[in-house]
Formats: sequence, C-alpha cells, structure tokens
Amino acid sequence: MSQKSMPNKTALSDTATLAIRQWLLNYASALFFIVFVVMWELICRVGKVPVYILPSPVSIVNAFFDVEFSRWLEHLWATLRVALMGFALSICISIPLAIAMVRSEVLSRTIYPALVVIQSTPVVAVAPLIIVLMGTGDMSRVLITCLITFFPLVVSTATGMLETPEELIELSKSLRAPRYRETWQIRIPYAIPHIFSGLKVSITLAIIGAVVAEFVAAEKGLGYFIQFSTSFFKIPQAFAGLIFLAVVSLVLFKSVQWAQQWLYPWSIPKNKR
Amino acid sequence: MLKKLTKPLLQVTALAAALGCSAMTLAADKVTFQLDWLPGGDKAPVYVGIQQGFFAAEDLEVKIASGRGSTDAVTKMATGQSDVGTADIGALMAAKARDGVPVSAVLSYFSQAPHAFFTLEGSSIKSLKDVAGKKIATSPFTSSNAFLPLVLKENGMAADSVTLVKSDPGALSPMLMTGNIEGIIAWVTNVALYEKQAAEAGKTLRVIPWTDGGLDLYSSSLLAADKFLSERPDVAKRFVKAFAKAVQFTYANPDKAGADIHAIVPEVDAAIAAAQIRSINGLVYNDVTSHDGFGALTPERMALTWKWVSQANDLAADAMNPEVAVNRDFMPEQK
Amino acid sequence: MTKASERAFVRMEQVGHCYDPAAGNMAVQQIDLEIHRHEFVAVVGPSGCGKSTLLRMVAGLLIPSAGKVSVFDRQVTEPRDDVGIVFQKPTLLPWLTVRDNVLFPLKHKYGLVTAADKVRAEELLAMAGLAQFSARMPDELSGGMQQRVGIVRALLLNPDILLMDEPFSALDAMTREQIGFDLLDIWTEHPKTVLFITHSISEAVLLADRVLVMSQRPGTVLDLIEIDIPRPRSSATINSPRFAELTARIRKHIYEPEVHA
Ligand SMILES: Nc1ncnc2c1ncn2[C@@H]1O[C@H](COP(=O)(O)OP(=O)(O)OP(=O)(O)O)[C@@H](O)[C@H]1O
Ligand SMILES: [Mg+2]
Repeated sequence: MSQKSMPNKTALSDTATLAIRQWLLNYASALFFIVFVVMWELICRVGKVPVYILPSPVSIVNAFFDVEFSRWLEHLWATLRVALMGFALSICISIPLAIAMVRSEVLSRTIYPALVVIQSTPVVAVAPLIIVLMGTGDMSRVLITCLITFFPLVVSTATGMLETPEELIELSKSLRAPRYRETWQIRIPYAIPHIFSGLKVSITLAIIGAVVAEFVAAEKGLGYFIQFSTSFFKIPQAFAGLIFLAVVSLVLFKSVQWAQQWLYPWSIPKNKR
Repeated sequence: MLKKLTKPLLQVTALAAALGCSAMTLAADKVTFQLDWLPGGDKAPVYVGIQQGFFAAEDLEVKIASGRGSTDAVTKMATGQSDVGTADIGALMAAKARDGVPVSAVLSYFSQAPHAFFTLEGSSIKSLKDVAGKKIATSPFTSSNAFLPLVLKENGMAADSVTLVKSDPGALSPMLMTGNIEGIIAWVTNVALYEKQAAEAGKTLRVIPWTDGGLDLYSSSLLAADKFLSERPDVAKRFVKAFAKAVQFTYANPDKAGADIHAIVPEVDAAIAAAQIRSINGLVYNDVTSHDGFGALTPERMALTWKWVSQANDLAADAMNPEVAVNRDFMPEQK
Repeated sequence: MTKASERAFVRMEQVGHCYDPAAGNMAVQQIDLEIHRHEFVAVVGPSGCGKSTLLRMVAGLLIPSAGKVSVFDRQVTEPRDDVGIVFQKPTLLPWLTVRDNVLFPLKHKYGLVTAADKVRAEELLAMAGLAQFSARMPDELSGGMQQRVGIVRALLLNPDILLMDEPFSALDAMTREQIGFDLLDIWTEHPKTVLFITHSISEAVLLADRVLVMSQRPGTVLDLIEIDIPRPRSSATINSPRFAELTARIRKHIYEPEVHA
C-alpha cells in the first residue's frame, strides 16, 4: 500500500506467480470439474448430440429437479439403509473372522480358500439365488451387500494383524501376557491403518452391492431408480441418479476418512494429517 | 386400558381367522402380486384394481412386487414369495416342461405375441419379408431371439438370413435413431416409448409385429402359485374376477389408468403410461378375444402356443401336455 | 547376598541350536558362557552368527535344541518375565503417548496401571532426559529419543536382566555415543545384568565389563575378553592405549578368523 513497503518489480511478479500456483493447487480439482462440465455442455449443444446418446449437464440438472426431493430422499434412504446395514454386518463378520484366522493356522488354511471362492463368484450371478432363498425383503439385499464387501475387510484386517513387528510379539511373549491382550493391545491397533483402507474400499463396494441387489429385486432405491429411468428411456434422469449415487459414494468414502482422522489420527501418515 | 387388553386379543383372533377359516374374514385377504418387470403402462391393471377399489370391493389387500423377467416372476411364484402375477405363459410352459414348477395360468392377458421388428419410416424394411440379409439388433436375453428363426422359417427365409447384433437393451433405441442399425427387435409394449424417442429425433417409427408373419400364441397371462390356488381358492377366485374387471377398465379408460399407476409409482408418467396402454390395446382385445372372449385359455390355442414355445426352447413337442399349465377353475363367468 | 552376586547369574552349558532340523545345520553350537550378576557383557560377531539367537535363549523365547541355559540355577524352559528387552528399532506403539508406551508392559501384563506406576514412569523418563516429552506421540520424537523411550520401557518392570539387541545401530554416531554413556549412567544407578549385542567393536569395549566374540556361522565362542578399563568411562576412554589394544584384539578375531582357526 505505502510506497515504501512496496516490493520491487521482480519480487512482486515472483510472489504473484507463487500465489497463482498455490491457488491452482488448492482449486485444481474444482477448476477441472468446471472446465469439464462446461466442455460437456458445449459439445452437447454445438454437436447437437441427441439426449439418448449423451444428455447435457443442463438437462441432467433439470431432470434432477424434475423429481421431487422427497422422492430422491426415499430412494436414497432405501439404498443407504441397505448399504450401511450390509457394511455393518460385514464389519461384524469380517473382523472377528480375521482375528480367528490370524490366531489359528488351521482356521486360516481352511477359511482362506473358501473366502477366495466366495470373492471370485460374481455377486451379480448369485444375487438372484439369494433373493429366491431369502425373499425380496431388506435381509437378502443386506446379505448381497455384505457378500460383496467383506472380503477386502477380512484380507486387510488379517494383513494388518500379521504385519505387526515381530519384536512386539516377542515383547508380549516375554511379558507372559494373556493371548487376548496380544490381539487387542498390539495386533488390532497395528491393523488399524489396514482396516481403514479396507473400510474405504468396502464402503464404496457396499453402495455397488446395494445397487446390484436393487437391480435384482427392489421397489425403491437409487439403483432401482436408474434402472427404471433407463427402461423408460429417461436418460437424463438416469444420469441424474447415477451422479447422485456417485456423490453418495464419495461422501461415504470421505466419512470413513474423517472417522479415521477423528478416531485414530496416529494411523494416518504424518504429512497427510 | 381396555384398548391395551383388547388389541392383542384382536390380533390373535385375526391370526386364527387368517390361518383357519379364510371364509370368515375379519381383515382383508392379503395377496402379493408379481410383475415380470418394472411398473409401466402394460402393467397398469393391477394398479387400476387398487386405485379404483376393485380389489377392495372383493375384500382383498394387494401388494405389488416388481420382477426381473418372466422366468424370475415364475420362480418367485413357485417359491411362494408371490401368490399371483403376470408373466409370459411361454416361460411358464418351458419351466413346467423342464422342472414341473407348481404354477398355473388362470387367465390370459395378452392373447397375441408382443414381438416385433421396429424400423424407421424410410427404411427399406417395410414388411417381415424385407429383413432377409439385414443386420438387426436385439438384446441378449429376450425370449424374442428364440422365436426369430421360427418366424423366419414360417415366412420362407433361412434362420441365418438375418444377422443379429446383440446389444444392451438401453442401447437399442439410440442405435436405431442414429441410423446405426436398420432395425431392432423389441416388444409392442414399448411402442409408445420408442415413438416418443423417434419424435424427439424428428423421425417416425415403423412397427412390424410378428403376428403379421404368423406367430400366433398367448403371451403375458395371469399366473398363480398352485399352493395359493389350492389353499385359498376363494381368495384366488375373487382376485381373478377383480383383475379381469381392472383390465377392462384400464383399456376403456387409458388416461385414468395412467393416473392410477402414477399415483402409486410416481416415477411412471401418467401420459406415457396412457399412451402405452392405447398402443397395446390390440394385444389385449383382438380377433382371438372377440371369438373366445377376454381371458379365455382355449385348449386349441394352448396347443398352438406350446407348438411355438416347445420349438423355440428346443423341447420335444410331446415333452408336456400344454393343458397341465392351465387351470380354468378360476375363470370369471363370461357375460 | 554377596555370595549370590559372586555366583554365575546366567549360565550356558554346551548350548547349541538348530532352527531347521530337516536341514540339520546349526545356527550356534557349543556355547559355554557365565555371566555374573550386574555384569555388563557385550557380544560381537559377524552378521548371522547367532547373537540374536543367544539373546532369545536367555529371554526364554527360544529353547535351545542342545545344552541348557539357566538363570540363577534354574533352567530356562519358558519365556521369562524378569527380563527387559530393547530392540534394534524402538518399536514404540504409535497410538500411545510416550508415557503410555513406557507403561505398556504393565498394562499389557496385568491389564491395569496404578497412579504409582505413572509416577515411576515419569521418573524414569526424567532420568532419560525425556520429562517434557511424556505426553507426546512417538512420531514427534527423534530416533535417538525414541530409542531412549524403548530403554525406559524395558526398565519399567525393574528387570534383573536387560537384553539389548543392537539397540543403537539405527542412530547416528554422535547420538550413539551419548546414549551409550547415558545407558552406563542408568546402569550404575540401577545395577542390572546386561547382555548387549552390537556390531560396533569400540562400542562394546567402551561399555562392557567383558566382550564375547563369536565366530562365523555356526556361531561359537572365539574369545571372551575382560575389559579392564576402569569406570567411570567417558569419551576420553577412547583415546587410552588400553582401549586401542583391546579393540585391535577383537578386530583381529573378526577380520582374520583363519589365523585363530
Ligand atoms: N527364525 C529362524 N528360522 C530359521 N533360521 C533362523 C531364524 N532366526 C535366525 N536364523 C538363522 O540363524 C542364524 C543366526 O541368526 P541370528 O539372528 O541369531 O544372527 P545374528 O548374529 O543376530 O545376526 P545379525 O547380526 O545380522 O542380527 C542365521 O544364519 C539365521 O539365518
Ligand atoms: Mg540379530
């Protein structure tokens, strides 16, 4: 402001470029997103792309607001409920399973192959069977979600527990501490970073699981909504559902990240905290 | 206080009544209705039945479950997840011939086949015979694919005279509208949707139903689980009666029917549903029904249907007597 | 009491171990060693000669396949809880504060810690010069500080025996020397029997009462050298001629083994 404190010309341009750089770094993703959407809209308008090939962002936004918000919430709640219940069930199953596998060689040898078989069976193929066996209620959709989410959790938990430094296990042995304390005070906390990377994968899979289940049998939910919209050739509406679904996945993913940051800040590398 | 005491008591009696003597009804009889696909104009009657009170008049409480294809719908009825529903009678026949599923047809809904070629005005495909040597797109799992060779043969063409391009159902319409492909295989039930798309693209749809080429059979029908029919015959009878009434109302009042389905499933546009209903009137009311009456499942036409279905599914003609797939005890009386 | 301190505290008789009986090759063999109470014994030898194996036998984490190890005339047949172990890496638990890391052995062994334990932990930390860091998380400390915490943790249960497996090898030379003298201070204040494994010959000579020199695999005792340099030792010790003599003697064993074979 005052003439005196004004830096000389080169320094000024230096700080300016630095500021621009920092600004770019901070808003790079937002900027990219805006450019992307604007390009998309332009291509659709200039190229007169038919809506059934690629709906323009504006038509998608319009389609989004054409559907009553309470209706969106109903579909969202149906999907979210199944996804979260499946996710919770999967946590309840996989963490004890991983603990059992780490503690017992026999169990680990018998269960691992079974897990791999379950994991490599496409859930899409099994889903109709589950619906036939367990009915069209929430329970079978939760089970489908659980099936799709629990493998990464078991593997990451078990891996984390096995990666505990050997020294600490020896320390525990030399203290002649009860075995359960080795599990709870050393192995499980050590597995926390791994468990959370597993949780991050699982939460996004949970949404996929819930949607797959809705494709097979449902009267509500975002997956059902998307399928419905496509069957009526309401492509912008299907896109709106798809984008909404992606946003929900993103929020859930971020929530897991926040939970980790809040509950176990030490488990995140220092430069990322 | 008194309410507290009587409420469980009432529940117990209701339960006993439901279990024991269904004739002595305290509460409405519950029926689960199975669709073979997502809600849409062609599925309107059951929604109309609810909204217009046809079911309530028969003391029925109907719950609707959407399905994912005819086979899925038949399976759900066979496993007791649903009591009645609409699905392709051909799927039922095939499932019955193979596994003897405990499901029977009780009423015909579409007395003609819905399969068709869709092309655009201006295309060289003007009749069924013109498809020879053409590339036609179809979705991978539709039952139409099995009937195609039979229809081609019926019209003096070789089974391989058409090159089929399998594609996702959602991609068929864009392929047709962009001129990517000259013709597609689709169902008449979707004519209204395709016409709208064509209009948006500034084109006109041309529909060539396979019935024109001699494909002559029952298709979508009202099916019911045998268990439902044997354990609750009275409920079943009332349901069929109300459903038949609802069908009549639907096709007499497409706009009201469209509004009814929209009221229950807001995702369905009332106007589109009404257009769909209008466009498929011929599947429900046609030469067959004017001769036999709506809903009839005549032995002759059952045999004809089985002839087509058995060939399409590679089943021996004598693998099953088509009569086992039908139960005429629940037909509403013809006026 | 004097009698007891004269007696061999840790005794190894013809100890040998084979990790893989199928292959049949011994990791260590024919080790005879007596360590007196409150003696500081350093072990040097080429990599893979079985130094860690020896240490684990004293802790009872490994039962030798030949010979026997006894502590205070009782044979070691299972893990002993009167040893404190310091590892090469500090292996602190990243989710606990420095103080809780120090208290961890108690918490882990008994499931609870008392107020008195907390006071003791603070005292030990103060002794190691870490008083103001007790509420910090381990990753806020330097490597040398973390290793000090590791030592303090090993001292918490006031063990008779302190087993240290290359505790300073991850530290830079300056820190290393300083922390060595700190260890001697602690040891003088709280006398313990120390088995100290190191790769540094000068470190061994600087700190120990006796240095055990081991041979290439399969590890045997090459020499057991009395370090007769008077205590207290300091950085000046390094310049004494006796220090040079003793390190030279050990170096000879390590670098020219065939001369002695
Ligand atoms: N758990 C184990 N299983 C099989 N062999 C082992 C095991 N631990 C050590 N060994 C072998 O026994 C020998 C002695 O190992 P030890 O770890 O005691 O050596 P060291 O002297 O401590 O080596 P370093 O100085 O590198 O730490 C080595 O040759 C090693 O390969
Ligand atoms: Mg070692």
